[in-house]
Order: sequence, then structure tokens, then C-alpha cells
Amino acid sequence: MLLETLLAVALLGAAVVFVAPNRIAGKLAFAISLVPAAISLWLFAAFDGSGNALLEGDLAFESQMEWIQFGDYAITWFVGVDGISLPLVVLTTILTSLAILSSWTPIDERESQFYGLILFIEANLIGVFVALDFFVWFIFWEAVLIPMYLLIGIWGGPRRKYAAIKFFVYTNVASLVMFGAFVALVFGLGDAVSSFALPEITDAMINGDGVQTALFGVDPTTLTALVFVAMFLGFAVKVPIVPFHTWLPDAHVEAPTPASVLLAGVLLKMGTYALLRFNFTMFPTDVIEPFVVPIAAIAVISVIYGAMLALAQTDLKRIVAYSSVSSMGYVILGLIAFTQFGVGGATFQMVSHGLISGLMFMAVGVIYNATHTRMVTDMSGMADRMPVAVGILIAGAFGYMGLPLMSGFYGEFAIFFGSFGSEFLAYAPVFTAAAMFGIVIVAGYLLFAMQRAVFGPYNLETEYEVTRAPLHDIAPMFVLLGLIIALGVAPELIFEMITDAVDPIIANGGDL
Amino acid sequence: MEGVFDYAPAIALFPLVAFVVVLAFGTYLPKKGALPGIIATGGSLLLSLVMAAAVASGEAYHETLYEWAAGDATSATGVEGVSFTFGLLIDPLAALMLVIVSLVAFLVHVFSLGYMNAEGETGLPRYYAGLGLFTFSMLAFVVADNLLMAFIFFELVGLCSFLLIGFWFRTKSAPSAAKKAFLVTRFGDYFFLIGVVAIAATFGTVAFAGDDSFVTAAETAIDGGDQLFGFDAQTWVTITGLLVLGGVIGKSAQFPLHTWLPDAMEGPTTVSALIHAATMVAAGVYLVARMFGYYALSPTTLAIIAFVGGFTALFAATMGVVKDDIKQVLAYSTISQYGYMMLGLGVGGYVAGVFHLMNHAFFKALLFLGAGAVIVIMHHEQDMWKMGGLKDKAPVTYYTFLAGALALAGIIPFSGFWSKDEILYDALIVGLEEPVIMAAYAMGLLAVFFTGFYTFRMVFLTFHGEPRSEVAEDPHPVGWSIKAPLLVLGVLAVVAGIANLAPVAKLAGVDITFLEHWLDGEYGAIEGLTYTAYGELLAYETSYIGSEQVTVLVAAGLSLLLAFSGAGLAWLLYNKPEPVAHTERLGSAGKVIEDNYYQDEYQVWLAEGLTLPLARAADRFDQTVIDGIVDGTSTASLFGSDRIRRLQTGIVTNYAALIVTGVIVLLLVLGFLGGWF
Amino acid sequence: MTVAIEYYVLLSMGLFCIGLFGVLTRRNALMFLMSVELLLNAANINLIAFAFYHGNLTGQVFALFAMALAAAEVAVGLGIILVLYRNFRDVDVTVPTTMRW
Repeated sequence: MLLETLLAVALLGAAVVFVAPNRIAGKLAFAISLVPAAISLWLFAAFDGSGNALLEGDLAFESQMEWIQFGDYAITWFVGVDGISLPLVVLTTILTSLAILSSWTPIDERESQFYGLILFIEANLIGVFVALDFFVWFIFWEAVLIPMYLLIGIWGGPRRKYAAIKFFVYTNVASLVMFGAFVALVFGLGDAVSSFALPEITDAMINGDGVQTALFGVDPTTLTALVFVAMFLGFAVKVPIVPFHTWLPDAHVEAPTPASVLLAGVLLKMGTYALLRFNFTMFPTDVIEPFVVPIAAIAVISVIYGAMLALAQTDLKRIVAYSSVSSMGYVILGLIAFTQFGVGGATFQMVSHGLISGLMFMAVGVIYNATHTRMVTDMSGMADRMPVAVGILIAGAFGYMGLPLMSGFYGEFAIFFGSFGSEFLAYAPVFTAAAMFGIVIVAGYLLFAMQRAVFGPYNLETEYEVTRAPLHDIAPMFVLLGLIIALGVAPELIFEMITDAVDPIIANGGDL
Repeated sequence: MEGVFDYAPAIALFPLVAFVVVLAFGTYLPKKGALPGIIATGGSLLLSLVMAAAVASGEAYHETLYEWAAGDATSATGVEGVSFTFGLLIDPLAALMLVIVSLVAFLVHVFSLGYMNAEGETGLPRYYAGLGLFTFSMLAFVVADNLLMAFIFFELVGLCSFLLIGFWFRTKSAPSAAKKAFLVTRFGDYFFLIGVVAIAATFGTVAFAGDDSFVTAAETAIDGGDQLFGFDAQTWVTITGLLVLGGVIGKSAQFPLHTWLPDAMEGPTTVSALIHAATMVAAGVYLVARMFGYYALSPTTLAIIAFVGGFTALFAATMGVVKDDIKQVLAYSTISQYGYMMLGLGVGGYVAGVFHLMNHAFFKALLFLGAGAVIVIMHHEQDMWKMGGLKDKAPVTYYTFLAGALALAGIIPFSGFWSKDEILYDALIVGLEEPVIMAAYAMGLLAVFFTGFYTFRMVFLTFHGEPRSEVAEDPHPVGWSIKAPLLVLGVLAVVAGIANLAPVAKLAGVDITFLEHWLDGEYGAIEGLTYTAYGELLAYETSYIGSEQVTVLVAAGLSLLLAFSGAGLAWLLYNKPEPVAHTERLGSAGKVIEDNYYQDEYQVWLAEGLTLPLARAADRFDQTVIDGIVDGTSTASLFGSDRIRRLQTGIVTNYAALIVTGVIVLLLVLGFLGGWF
Repeated sequence: MTVAIEYYVLLSMGLFCIGLFGVLTRRNALMFLMSVELLLNAANINLIAFAFYHGNLTGQVFALFAMALAAAEVAVGLGIILVLYRNFRDVDVTVPTTMRW
């Protein structure tokens, strides 16, 4: 029942904070958010599962009960974690607490609603990572959008309405495509499944005969392929993969800092997590095979194109936003490589990128709080006035560049190593080498931005004195930096757990 | 001596502790953090000497300390399971390098007391923290026992280089130089990382030494005629070797990735001495020496190394002759000297290359620190044309600098002569059989002349003649913390050559090639990492002009002759009370050289003239086409709805009319379909 | 003697057409309401005629219901018209178009 407790604390906390007075909302929300963080850390310490949740693995903290009978299909309340989802749950809870802390300075209106929505989003994000029944999962998946829409739309920048609507409609349409495809898959499986439980569906797909029933005159083989493609596209928007990425920079630029932290840190991982859980776990490899090279090509394009776009930006938040597109490209490359290091590294990279992009957005936010501008062209020599915040920004930037002994390096290295030797992916060395060029461009745009914004003679036109940031802005960044370095020095902290859950997926590839 | 190796990790960890202490408490410490750094590097130096003594007593150390990550990836050669570890490999080469690095680091820390603290710089904790982190990373790189660990610390020293070059971040130029240094080396490291990944994926191991090293695996694969990634094993080893070489070329500032090093002189001179002369730049060359067995398997790669080295030696030396800034001259000289080391290693002269690496570390650190002293004396003036006549006013600086200059120019019997001569000799004997190497040798030989010239031009302009500015007449005094390191290095620059008097040994037939024995494992060694073992792998043929002795004499005579003529020309032109510039005499060639052969221009163009517009074009494409489609979808549906909603006039009569029309149409349609008519 | 069913239907049709014509052409809300009443009554005539024709009372019951509903509708409609007049000083149905989009 621990996972339910986790969800309940976040949901009830959201309700309590929502009605609390504005004055204490921030502190109250932070105190409440420490509870899920503590529980999730305890889960992490007490984790005793093994294998993959969908592939007859031994789940940890699992609970399952009947909920709704829906015609021939049962909808069950089914939650549990394995080595892939647990690190993401921990990432969510920690990042939420830190995001709340980092909103104390910038959020100065409707505080109780703001913090209530943050806790609400946390509950739904946890739900996405722990739910193992499609229906339950989908409810959480969709419910994430609402608070994020409001966070951007109410507390956002000048173009917040445009950004919020674009974010909502774009990702919602994608969800619709994915939902339709998945339901088609379930109907196509016919009598083989009697519930929406993901392990059961996976079993029918992998060990059973797969889709046997034709729907709408589409024969089963084509149907399976179509479902794969539709679900891939549905998740691709969330990740986002080029060319479905344009909602991301707008959402990031308009969103308030804490929302950006959660958006880049966790929401993007929903997409890659779902890709791993659905597309690359449920489908037999012979279904995936025709799409391997196109997907790898898209991944490489995402990496290079995203990095090139970041190079052309002058808004610090846009730079980080586009670089997320680039980083997510690595994740896709790792997933499609279909090796232990590739898929494991991709999962590791999800966590690592969550931490690093969270750190970057916080650092940019702290500078924005002081300067009220994010344009690198407007500022110069910020290191002179805000040495600690800038120091952390630089550390985060180097983390983004994949500096060794920070978590980003291990994630990227594992992905590159996994994909270089992949036998599943044709021309794997070429794709890998091409994607790796991203590490040069990322260094280029981040250093270029650093050089212009934080170094050089101090020059910023403000009517007030720019001073050091308060401790509650700096502290969360130190925590993140500590985690980034810890995972970089000792990746086995989570990588062991991840590979344990990844191995059954790779084993399904059989003789590949 | 067995147990002493248990303390080996402390060599690297001392400076790490200093880094953490200085970063956290630097502002509150006396001397702003210099003391923890001095204590830590002093401790590292002592321990390094103990390690060297242990190796001398016949021991060596190869131990895995920590497993970073492991998994069961399958490699192309069929090895299953791979583990990425941190381990220590202390063999003669590493022990030698440990002593060099920790000694120079220690001396630079001491020198900094006079150079940075005494000059009242701000931000000193940041400076000492950077130095500490650098020393840690560099020492850890030196003792790395596998390629991945080497890469990790290779990158970290790059970070420290970035931070220290950009120490004076309030200026415009320093951050720009720091960015350039990191980016250019990163470009090299990109290839290096592909190389690491490729080697790991191919052989399932990244270890340098032992039976499960990738060198052994590559040898087995070549012998077995395996196919690796669609290539035969020999070709694949060449490809991966060249990829790793990319990192080497970036870090050791070889052509064409040398452009960052002269700019890196924006950093404090102490940093230039430690990082951009003696140690970090040496990391590339050291890496080649470290995995020499792998390169020895591929004659093509070796020939490329030799050729790039020879070319860089000459290329950089010619640029050194026209520079006016004392640090710029030294920077180009550094590039040129690393070219020699590459040449030495490329022709199979493992001992010669490492020997020059050692000597160069001493005399170049000496020259940079000497230049630092000159800069302090000159109240932070770096233009040599404003100096002059410092000989009598700063005798300690002058004589130590002169010792370094003689070593750099390769004048007998100073240390630089012995190692440079050995490199050229090794190149010559291989070159007699291989035309490519002969060309590399010729370029290296020609560079000796330029080296002699620019070195003594620098000495004469700085110290001789009449003072050419007010500050030169009224020098700033320097303290013991500046003089002491100069004296230590000055002595080493003079005598370090004794380590390997190969020509004397060959001519007189006495056994005094200590370094060769050292690297050949006569004391302690790891199997397979010795000069002899490498020699067996090498595919080079050698021949002599006449006999071995004659060849030795010819090689030494030629290089000495050129060095003297270069120095002599400098004496003729510049050893005057009032020297004048002779650059105009070079005509248009001089202009090209002064502009560094437009190397910077084309690289800046690649970044700013090509990549940036491309990025902007991509951005425009993204904003107009891709986002245009997204927004277009939304606009189209909005527009469509706007048209359709016009039906909703708000006039109830219209609705009624529509309903009636609808019913009639429906009736008609049903009627036609139902066959009523 | 009874009138044939066709005449009732014709009457109802005529009434309906008059009502429809009123709905489509009148702009005065009161006239509009009266026209709607005509439409309803046309339907009522039909219901009663066919109830008589079939010999059961269901249609007549329906007609009674429809009359009750029509009364309620007129009450609501007149209420709306009153509000309309209060807001627009007019009972022209083409005037109040502000709520359309």
C-alpha cells in the first residue's frame, strides 16, 4: 500500500494547500512534499523487485484489485514498480520538492493555487510511473496535462495563453492517437486478453500469438505495425522528437521556473518512459525491425537539429529547451539500439537529464529573478555579481555537455557504447558517430552563451542593485548538483536496478 | 617496498582534498588557499618519488580499485561482459610522469605565491581550487589503467584548463580564449570518445595492460585475421587508433587543432607553465606512449603520427619567429616541441619521445615561469620590444632563463639537445627506409634552425641590449617564491639530459642509457609495456649511413649545426643595444606567418561563418516551416470554424428557415433513395 | 355522416403552412409566437383526426398534453418577449443577435 500512500499524500496535500492561505502555502507545500520524497527514498532503499514489470518480473510494492468491469474487459487498480520506474518515481518526488523551494522567490500571486497544482502534478506523475493497468495509467497520463496547462497559462510569461494552449492541444491530440491505437491493439488481441493490465497484454503480444483479429478490414500484421507507428507518434510528441518538438520551447519560455523544472525534468520522461514500456517492450522485435533505421535516423536528426537550433538562440531558457530536444534524441537512439547498455543507458539518461535540466532551469531562473531578463545579449559579466549562482550554472552547463564524473557523461557513454555495437540497428557505428557529434555542438552553444552572459565585464542596465540569490534559491541547486555528481561517480546506484529490469526486454530479442 | 603502492591513490587524492578545502574555505585561509595546495602537491611529490623508488626496486603496480559500471554487452571479438573500472597502473612510464607532474605542480604552486598572491589578485581561492582540481585530474590521468578512465580525466583536465584560462573572466579576451580552448580540444575529444566506444565495443575491454587488455586483443584479432565491423582487423585497429589520435591532436595542440594554445596564454602565466606547457598538453603525447603497443600494431597510424608531428614542429616554429609577446613565442615553441615528441613516437622512438617529454616539461616550465618572473619584473608588460637590458637587473631570472633557452634550442650539453637529437636520430634511421618518415625528419630538422632562432631572439630582446621602456629601467623586485622554483628547474634543465646520453653510449660504448633501461623494464615493469615489447610489434625497418656511429654523428652534427646557425642569426640581428624588427624583410610571407597561416581565421569561419548561419537557417526553418505547419493547422481550423459559425446568425427566423430546408432536403433524399418517385 | 379523413389532413396542412409562413416571415416576436401556436394546433388537429379515424383515444390524450405544453410554452415565450422588450425596447426577433458567438 506504500504506492497508494505516496499518491494519497500528494493528492491530499494538493487539496490542503489549495485551500490554505497564500501566506503559508509555499512553506506548507514544501513540508508536505517532503513526505512523498521521504517515502520514495524509503522505497528506493527497500526495493526488492527484480525483472521487468511487464515481463513476469517480480514487482515491488505491488497491489492489484478489481475496479470496473467494462464489457469483456476488466479495469483493475494495478500499481507496482520495477527497476525502470522506481528511479523515475524518486526523480519526480525529489524534483518536486526542490521545484517548490525554487518557487518561493518568483511566485508572488495565487500562491496556494500554484503550490496545490504542483502537488497535484506530482501525484499524477507518480501515477504515470507506477500504474500498470492501461486505463489507470491513461487517467494519470492525461491528468498531468491539466495542472501544467494551468501553471503555464496563469503564472506564465507574456505569451502564456498561446504556449499553454499549444502545449495542451498538441500533446492531447497525440494522446488521442496513442489511445486509439492502443484500444485497437486490445480489440485486435481478441479473447487473448480479458483486462487492460499491461503485463497481460504484453504476455499476449510476446508469448501469445499476438494480434489475430482483423479490425476495419486491416489484416492483423498490418494492424500491429500501424499500432506501433501510431503509438510511437503519440509518444514522440511528448518526448518530443523532431519534428514534433515545437511546443516545447514555447512552453518552456512562457512557463514559470518551477513548471519548467518539472516539464523538462519529468514530463518529457513520460514520453520516453512510455516508449520503453509500450513500444519497445510490448511489441515483438520482428514488428519493430522495419522501423529501426527510420527511428534511429530521427533520433540522430533530433540530436543534431536540436543542438543546431539551440545554437541559434539568445534566450537562455530557449537554449536549454532546445538542448532537451537534443538530449532526448540520445535516449531514443539508446532505446532503438536494443542492447543492455543502450536501453539501460537511455533510462539512466532520463534520470540524469531530469536532474541536469532541472538544475539548468533553476539556475537560469535565479538569474532571471535578479535581472528580469534571460537574453544573453542583454547581460554580461553576471559572474561578478552572482558568483555562486553562476558557478552552479556553469557546473550544470558542463553536466549538460557530458563532463565525465557527472551523470550526463555516464548516460551518454552507456548509450553510445550500447548503440555502437548494436546488432539490431544497421550501420550502428555510423549512426552513433553522427549522434555523438552532438557533444561538440552542445559544448559550442553552452560555452558561447556562458561567455556572453556570465563572463566579460559586468554590464546590465537595472534600476536596482543586483545581488546574490537567497539561500532557498541556491540550496536546491546544490542538492541537484550533488545528485548529479553522485550518479556520475557511482552510476551503479541506479544502473544495476535499471539493467535488471532491462535485461528481460533484451532477452525478448532472442537471437538478435 | 611492496606495501607502498597501497598509498598510491593518495597521490591523486591529496590535490582533490585541497580542491575541496580551498573551494569551501579558501577565502578564510591565510594566503587564500595557496597553503593547502602546496601541502597537497608536496605530499603528492613525495609519494610520487616513493613510487618511483618502488619501481626502481623492481616493483610495478596494476590494480583495479573501483568498478564504475558493468554489464553484459557482447563485443565484436566475442568477449561477453564488459566492466568499466577505475584502476591504477604504475609502471616506469607512469612513475616518471607522476614525478614530473607533481614536481611541476608543486613548483607552480610555490611560484604562485609570488606571482598571484604578491600581486594582490582577487578570486585567488578560485585559482587555487582550479589548480588543485587540475593536479588531481592530471595525476589520475597519469595513473589510469584503462582507456575510459584516461578519457574521463583527459576531459576533466580540459575543464580545469577552461576554468583557469578564464580566470580573469572580467576581461573580454580571457573567456573567449577559454571557450576556444575547450571547444577545439572538445572537437578532438569527440573523435577520442568514438575511439573509446569503438575499442570497448570491439574488444570488450579498455584495459591498457594485462592479458585482457585491448592491445593484446587487437594483436590476437590481427593474427587471427578477424573481420571487425566489416573491416579486416588491421584496418579497424588503424581506424580506432586514428580516432583516439583525434583527442591527442586536440590536447597536444598538433596541427590542425593547435590554434587554441596560443590563445590560452590569456590565462595567468603560472597556469600556462603548468597546464599549457608542462603537463596537460603533454597528456596527448603521454596517451600515445601509454597505448604505444596499440599504435605499434598499425604502421599507417604511426606514420601519420610521425608526419603530423614533424609538420607541426616546423609549422609552429616558423610562427614563433615573428611574435612580439614573450608568452606567444613560448606558446608556439610548445606546439613545436610537442611536434617533436609526436615525431619521436611516430618513428618508434618510444624512449626518445618520453625523454623529450620529460626534458621539455622541465625546461618549458622553467621558461614560462621565467617569463612570469619577467612579467612581474616588467609590471605586467609582455611585449618583448619594451624590455631589454634585464640581464644585469635580474641575474637569477636571466641565468635560469638562459639555461632553459639553451635546452630548448638544443645546444649541447643541455638537456633538450640529448632528447631532440635522439628523436631526430630515430627518425633518420627509419627515414632512410621510408620516404614519408624521411619527409617528417626533414621538417623536424629544419625546425631546429627556427627553434634556435626564435629562442635566442627572445633571450636577446628580453635580457640584452638597452632598456627600451621606463619599466625596464626600473624593474620590480621578485621574491624567493619566484626564484626558488626557477633555480630548481634551471638545474634540471641543465642536467636532465644525463638520464639518457644515447649518442655518447653509442659512440663510446658505455652503458649509460638509464632512461632506456628504466622504460625497458630493467627495474620494475608490467609485462607488455616495455620498450622491447613495443619494438617487437613495430614493423619499421631501419638502416644506417655507413655504420651506426657515423649515423649518430651525422644526425647530431646536422641538428647542432642548424641550432647554432639559428642562434647565431638571432645573435647577429638582435644582440645589439638597440635592436630593430626585421619582420618587413620577410615580405608577404611574413604577413602570412604573423597571421598564423590564417589557421585561426578559417577555424573561426567554420564556427561563426558556417555553423552559426547554418544554425540560424535551421532556426528560421524551424520557426517558419515546422512550427508553421503546427500553427497552420491551428489557423486553418480556427479559420474554418470562423466561417462555419457565420451560419449562426442569431436571427431565429433564419434557424427556422434552415430547419425547414433541412427537413425538405432530407425528405427529398429519403424519397429518392426509397424510390417514392 | 362523417367528414373524410383527407379533409382533416388538408386542413391541418393548410394551418401548418400558414404557421410556417408566419415563422419564416414575421419579425414581431408576438406574431412569431402565434405562428408557432398555429403549427402546434395543426399537429393537434392531425392527432385528433387520426385518433377518431382509428377509434382509440391515444391521439386525443396526446393532443391534450400538447395543449398543456403549448400553454406552458406560451408562458415562457411571453416571458422571454417581455425581457426582450425590456432590454432592446423592441420585440423584433432579428434585433437580439448579441448572443450568437
